[in-house]
Order: sequence, then structure tokens, then C-alpha cells
Amino acid sequence: MTVRLLIGAFIVLALQAQQPVAPTREAVGAADGDARGLYNVVQSFELGYRFSEIGGNRDEYRSNANYGNGIRLLGSNLIVHSKNGRARYFDELVLTTQGLGNDPYESALLRVRKNRLYEYDMTWRQNAYYNPGLVVANGTHFRDTTYRWQDHDLTLFPTRQYRVLLGYGRNTEAGPGLSSQQLFDGRGGVVPFFTNIKREFNTYRLGGEFEFHKVRLHVMRRWEFFKEDTPYFLNTPTRSDNPLDPTTITLFSKSEPYHGQTPGWLVSLFAERRRFAVNGRFTYAGGERNFILNETALGTDRFGGNQNRQIIVSGTARRPVTTGDASLSLFATAKLTVVNNSSFANTRIDGNNFFQQFDNATQSGSVVNFQFLGIRLFTNSTDARYQFSRRFSAYAGYHYSDRLIRSIEDSAAPPDPLDGVSARQANHLHAGVAGFNWNPWQPLRLHVEAEVGRNDNPFTIVSERNYHAISARAQYRRKNLQVSAQYRQNYNNNSITLSSYSSRARNYTGNISWAARSWLSFDASYARLHLDTLGGIAFFAGAPRPQLVSDRQSLYISNIHSGTLGSRFQLAKKADLFVGYNITRDAGDGRAGATTTGTAVDQLLYSVQTFPLNYQSPLARVSYRYSEKLRFNVGYQYYGYKEDFGLFSINNNYRANTGFVSALWSF
Amino acid sequence: MHSELVLQVKSLLWKLAVRLVVLCCALAIAGAQTKPAQSPYIGSTVCYGCHAGLSKQFFKNPHYISIATKKETPENKGCEGCHGPGRAHAESLGKKSLIVAFSELSKKQTLENCLRCHSSNLSKANIERSIHTSSDVVCNDCHSIHKSPEPKFLLAKQQNELCYGCHGSVRAQFSMPFKHRVNEGVMTCSDCHNSHGTFAADWRMGAKPRLVDQRLGNEEPCLRCHTEKRGPFVFEHASIRVEGCESCHSPHGSPNAKLLRRPVVFTMCLECHNGAGTFGRNNNGVPAQSSSHNMLDPRYQKCTTCHVRIHGSNSDPRFLR
Repeated sequence: MTVRLLIGAFIVLALQAQQPVAPTREAVGAADGDARGLYNVVQSFELGYRFSEIGGNRDEYRSNANYGNGIRLLGSNLIVHSKNGRARYFDELVLTTQGLGNDPYESALLRVRKNRLYEYDMTWRQNAYYNPGLVVANGTHFRDTTYRWQDHDLTLFPTRQYRVLLGYGRNTEAGPGLSSQQLFDGRGGVVPFFTNIKREFNTYRLGGEFEFHKVRLHVMRRWEFFKEDTPYFLNTPTRSDNPLDPTTITLFSKSEPYHGQTPGWLVSLFAERRRFAVNGRFTYAGGERNFILNETALGTDRFGGNQNRQIIVSGTARRPVTTGDASLSLFATAKLTVVNNSSFANTRIDGNNFFQQFDNATQSGSVVNFQFLGIRLFTNSTDARYQFSRRFSAYAGYHYSDRLIRSIEDSAAPPDPLDGVSARQANHLHAGVAGFNWNPWQPLRLHVEAEVGRNDNPFTIVSERNYHAISARAQYRRKNLQVSAQYRQNYNNNSITLSSYSSRARNYTGNISWAARSWLSFDASYARLHLDTLGGIAFFAGAPRPQLVSDRQSLYISNIHSGTLGSRFQLAKKADLFVGYNITRDAGDGRAGATTTGTAVDQLLYSVQTFPLNYQSPLARVSYRYSEKLRFNVGYQYYGYKEDFGLFSINNNYRANTGFVSALWSF
Repeated sequence: MHSELVLQVKSLLWKLAVRLVVLCCALAIAGAQTKPAQSPYIGSTVCYGCHAGLSKQFFKNPHYISIATKKETPENKGCEGCHGPGRAHAESLGKKSLIVAFSELSKKQTLENCLRCHSSNLSKANIERSIHTSSDVVCNDCHSIHKSPEPKFLLAKQQNELCYGCHGSVRAQFSMPFKHRVNEGVMTCSDCHNSHGTFAADWRMGAKPRLVDQRLGNEEPCLRCHTEKRGPFVFEHASIRVEGCESCHSPHGSPNAKLLRRPVVFTMCLECHNGAGTFGRNNNGVPAQSSSHNMLDPRYQKCTTCHVRIHGSNSDPRFLR
């Protein structure tokens, strides 16, 4: 048994090849924990120093990996269980942390439980988000913010026929950034300006579960509050991004306090009998936002004229969403299960605003806007599953969706009335799925599945219209060896009168995990993800006046090869060595460069049809067991990012050497 | 004469003794027949005698509550709560066929066994029609009841590794330069997915997206963190509400910045904005690009430099502010 457990543990460790090198995965202390009075305690803490040295495009590194220098509590865990399950204050306490002390990815999980009385779960996470926005907006959408999430859930009487559910969640994002705006007209230059992002989302939950006559009723009331108070400003004279455009901004400020709430209800029912099970759900969420925008810009326009422009917009937007679900599961025989589900969703979004613009202290325009977008979706599905034998089962299903989208968009200058034209689009999807599972031999499992769908009027050009998906997976699993292989393809063809779009995705994956000895294990995986899409596009291009170009297509080809390798050795039960390698290689379509001959339009389209790059990360870690309760660890991880040819002549390549030293102990 | 008498007495005594034994046996059998039948449940303590390795740490298992509280009936208590009555198994000194051994059950039986207690739960309401269930991925494929190395939910492995075991292409996506931080440990698959099955989504159509969990208002899970993109907005980018964030983004990971489906923005925008269709303002279809935008001018190749509120705006129908 011990050997099996050890082998299992080594497989788990080996599979973590693509993980960051720290925290250390090895364990210290007694695996079964220590007795402390009525409790059993398992705990460990890893304190260390993380270092990094970056060459090349630091912005890209921070966007991809973002590990820096400094002392960290790389990881910790504390697990306490009462031995008799009837302790006074709690029977279980689990606290795990990661990266505390300024790692870019920090988290803490806490669970406290007292049998039959309460259960409390807390999740806290922090993510240092960094995005230079180079390719998207030429660096003018830079963001260096911190996301923080926390969730608290308290369940009272978790195992009784009635439960009380209480919850609180809070998400925030804060930090500096850049944004941009085109000034002072539709052909003016783009000017970047500063933002200080401040967003906050709070949610409160109160509910309960009740059981009567084997029917369980779940009711949840929820209040969500969102507010954004991000100011945008620029107070130093700045020219636009176009050297030929003299647009200059001397002062820019914009504030758009944006507060809203989404109260909601959720009611669900469950009942299960020997031959059938039913469940139903109803939700309602009524979102509403009130806003006012005040924007002031001073400077010179593209003709050199002085501009003093103020824009004020105020209004309200609403989005009530109602959904209903009903499922009936029939256990017709011991081998046959049939499930029918009907779902209904109705989303109605309406909003209005009053837009006023003042140029040089003169009102130059005022517009009243009204928008309505309604989405009504009905879905019905029937799935049947039959267990032919212990080793073979098959299933088939038919899914139908009916969607109606309505829109009213209008604007008028007061006092003209709004008389917008209503537009509507209906579409219907018929899809069939079928598959089987075969276990011809105890360690071998095979799974094959196919789906075919027909959508008569998809909403977007890239949506699925005539599509099919096929997948197959084989898995061989012994105690010390796991091998699996999978193939999946998704083909879609969306051809309509004015345009056509097709996409073909084929994924091949394979994985092997082998615990050769109790002190030696290997893991390797390979995936090839192929995607090619072709879509008809229309745009304006050319000089001196841009002409409509509608005879070109947007082609995109991606051929990604991704591999991970990992191996773990234990030396004389004293030291553990882990080496791993991870590589992502997009080979594109095999072209050597981004340039070609032909018209300027052809050259532009050719340059963005594929994006070959190489991203690799070898790593190694040594963990030395000094005593049963103390380990010393050292690790190194390299990050290398290289684009074969930069898009828009922007080179984002970098190399980063990172690592850590730490002590992992249990006391 | 005397010897004959002795023999007769001996014979009589022997016959009496035999009849006495037969009578006692009959009484014993009769007594046994009238005594109440023994319960097939024997209690977890007996199981511990042979399965000491499993029982030693069982107090750490969430299922231990069934023993600790002393409120459960024998069929819902301890080992026999899952493995069925154990008396026959114990009396046969461990005959495997006389106990519910999960290694011998079909996938359907395994699922039914666990759902006996775990079915009346909102998060598992759709497990019968989940694609995992259809694909014969049931409880003990992901949960290890006796040997879980994870502190919560009895997972057989760390959550992302568990999912990667079958979803190899997802492992590759999370290893790309731009990705959500799952490998880094700040997110988990279950932040966005419910592996036990979900209700029908109200974006996209049919059974898609699979196993993507929804927020209270049936919204995409993306909006749980990216709250500023939730709206409602006066001017919604309709494709986001109708088809979801995946219209433009690859949520797991991508070689492209901002998890975009294309390395540059303009090709992605133009693939939809080519004037096709009959929806939208005055049934004019998807708005085509403005004639003032010369795509050979680099500043028009980065659409979101000007269309900064591309996820929705309260002020401008073209998402300019």
C-alpha cells in the first residue's frame, strides 16, 4: 500500500511540469500529521527569495510571466482535523496560501467546518495584471493594475433538512493605465492620456435550502453593486500619434462615475425517485446603471484651429434577464437513462442617453439616443444513454434552439421624436450528438463522439452555421503508467449571400506519465493545435482617396506545437531533483517572412495571416531534505519568447532568468 | 439373563440419548427460526480490523461526519454508507463479491451510488445530462475518496492537472504566452466550469458552451472578474451579448495579446464588419468600415485605439468614448 501511495504521489508530482518552478511541491513533516490534543495537525511553510533578470522586451515578460525579485512566503498549508468529529469549535480547518509577500499571483483559501453546525469557505486572490497593449493600440492602452477577489460563503446546518446560506464577494481592480481618444473629429489624431483605474464590485447573498417530502427547494436572493470612478486626464501639451497631424491637446479630462446594481433571485427545485428525477430553476436579474459623463478637451485641431470642447452625456441603461429551466430524467430501466431539458432565457436591454456637445462655449449639438436589444432563446434537448454492459455504453441526443433577436436603434435631435425602425432576426439550430464509451480491457478506455449542427441564420459571420465536431480519445491506465491520446476536429462553414466564412480546427494530443521506480518518474505531453480560417472582408484602402476593397479574404493559419516534459529523481532519499521543459511553437504556415510582392493591400493582408513564434521555459529544482521537518530548495526557470517576425515591426522578444531559494519546514 | 437385561438397558439408554440429541438439535433449529434475523450491517469498526490503512486517516474524510454525528442510519453511515452492508463480506473473511467494490461497478452504478446522497444539490442538478456523464466520466474518475492529496473536495489530483489528464489541448492553451493564470495557481478550472453539468447557457445556442458555469443572471463567467464589461450599456456590442466573449477571445490561452483570436485587431473586426446581414440599425446589417478609414494608414489598423469602449458604451454608438 505504501509503495502504491508513493507511486501515486510521484505521478502527481511529475505531471506538474508546466507549473512555475516555485513553490516547491515536495512535502515535509509526517504525512499523517501530528497529534495535538483532540486534533490532528498537518502543516508546512515555505519561505524563500525569488529572483529574476530580464533582457529584451520587459513589457512582454511582465505580460506573460511577471515574476520579480524579493522575499516571499512561497507557499503554506495548515490542515487541522478533530479526531472524533465532535470538537467544540471546529472539526476541520484548512488554510493554504501561495505567493504572499508580493508575488504577482497570490492566493489564500480557508475552510472552517463544524459538523452539522456550520461550514465557512473563504477565497482570496490577487493578480498583478500588466499589459502594454502594444499590438492592440500601439502602447496607448497600457495597464498596470491589480485585481483582487474575495469570496466568503457561510452555510449554517449544512447536513440538515434546512440550510441557511450567506455569502459576500468583492472584486476590485485598481492601478494606473493609459487610454486614448481621437480628437477633435473623425479624422483627427489619436492622443493618449492617463487613467487611474478604480473599479469595485460587491455582491451579497442570502438564501436557504429546505427539504420536504424528498423535494428540495433552494432559494437565493442576491444583490450586486458595481461602481467605477476612473478619472481620465492629461495636463501636459501632447501631440497626436500622427506626425502629419498637428492636433495637439493641452488639457484633457474625463470623468464618468458609473454606479449600478443588479438585484437577483434564484429559485430551484429538485426531486429524485427511483424511476425519475426532476429539477427546475428560475432566475431573475435586473441590472441597472446610471451614469453621467463629463469630458473636456482643450487644444488645436488638425487644421490648427483652437478648440475648447466639452461633452456631457447622461442616461440610464437597464438589463433585466429572466431564465427558466426544467429537466426530467427518466431511469426507464437499470441501463437506460433519458434526460429532457427545456430552457428559456429572455434578455431585454434598453437604454437612453442625452448627448450634448459644446464647442468653444457654444452648444453645437445635442442628441437623444435610444437603444433596445432583446434576445429570446428557447432550447430543448433530449439525451439518451444506454449501458449495454459494464464495459460498453453509448449515448445520443438531439438539441434544438430557437432564438429571436430584436433591436431598435434610434437617435434624434430634440425636439424631434424618436421613430426608430425595429429589426428582428430569428434563427434555429438543430444539432445531433452521439458517442460511445468502450472499456475493452480493464486498463484501456476508448471514447468516440460526434456532433453535427445546422443553424439557419447565425447572428455573426464567424458563428457556427454548418458545423461538425468529431473527437476520439484512448486512455491506457495502470498503476504506474498512464498513456492517453486524443483527436478532435471542429469544422464550420458559414456561407451567406454577401460573405463566407470557414474555419477548421484540428487538435491532436498525447500524454504519458510513467513512474518507473519509487525514486524515478517521467511525464511528457504533446499537443498540436491547427486552425485555419478564411473569411470574406470589405474595407477601404488606397491613395489619394481610399477605395472600397471587397474582393479580398482574411486568411489566418496557426499551427501550434506544444510540449511538456518533466522528470523527477530522488537521490538516496535525501534530495529530490525535478527537471522540466515546456515549449509552445506556432509554426504558422511555414513562411519565412512577413513580406511579399504585390499591391500594398496584398502586402498588408499577407503580413497578418500568420504569427509564428516560440515560447519556451525549461526549469530545474533541487530539494534537499535536511531533516524530516526541514527542506532546503533551489530552483531555476528560464523564459524565452521570440517572434519569427514582429507584427507592425514591433519586436517583443525577451529572455528571462528566474529562480528561487527557499526553506520548507514543518514545526 | 443379567447380561441381556444390561444390554437392553444400554440399548434403551442409547436410543434415549440419540433421541435427546435429535430433540436438542430440533429445538436449536426451531429457536434459530423464531429469533429475529441479524442486520446485514455490521458497523465500520469491524471494517477497520482488516482495512486499517484506510481507517487510520478516515477521520479527516468529509464522509466521517456520518460516523461522528451518530445520527445516521446504518445504511448511510461510515464504510457501509457507500460500500453497502458488510456483514456477509466480513463473515466470509473478505469475499469481494459480497461487498460493493467500486472497481467492479459500471460507471452508471458508480454514479448512482454517489448520487444517493449528493444529488440534491444545485451544482449537481444537471449531472445526468452532463457531457462528462455521457462520456463515462463519473465521480471516482476525478475524486479519490480514500487517498485524496488535496485538502478540499477529495480531488484525486490538483484540479488543473486532473482536467489536463483528458483535456490535453487545454493544457497546451494554458502554456501559451497569454493565458489566464491557472498554472500559476491564482485561478482554477472550476472558476469558469462546472464539471458536474450546467444549465443551458443564454449565449450561443444548443448545448454549447459545454460545462461553462453561469452567474446568477445566466451570464458568462468572464464577467465575474471583468465586471466593467458587464454593463448594461446603452450601446451594447450585440455580438458579445448574443454569441459571447469567445467571438473575439480565446479564453484559455492564446499566442496573441489580450487572448485575441487573431494577432492583430483589424482582421478580426473586419471578418464580421463587412456590411453583411440585415440586422441592426434600420436593417442595414453589420456596419461596414467607414470610408474615411484608409487601412493602409497604420493608425486605422488598430481599431480599438479609437473604439476604446468596444465591449459597450453609454455615450457613443461607435464605442468611441
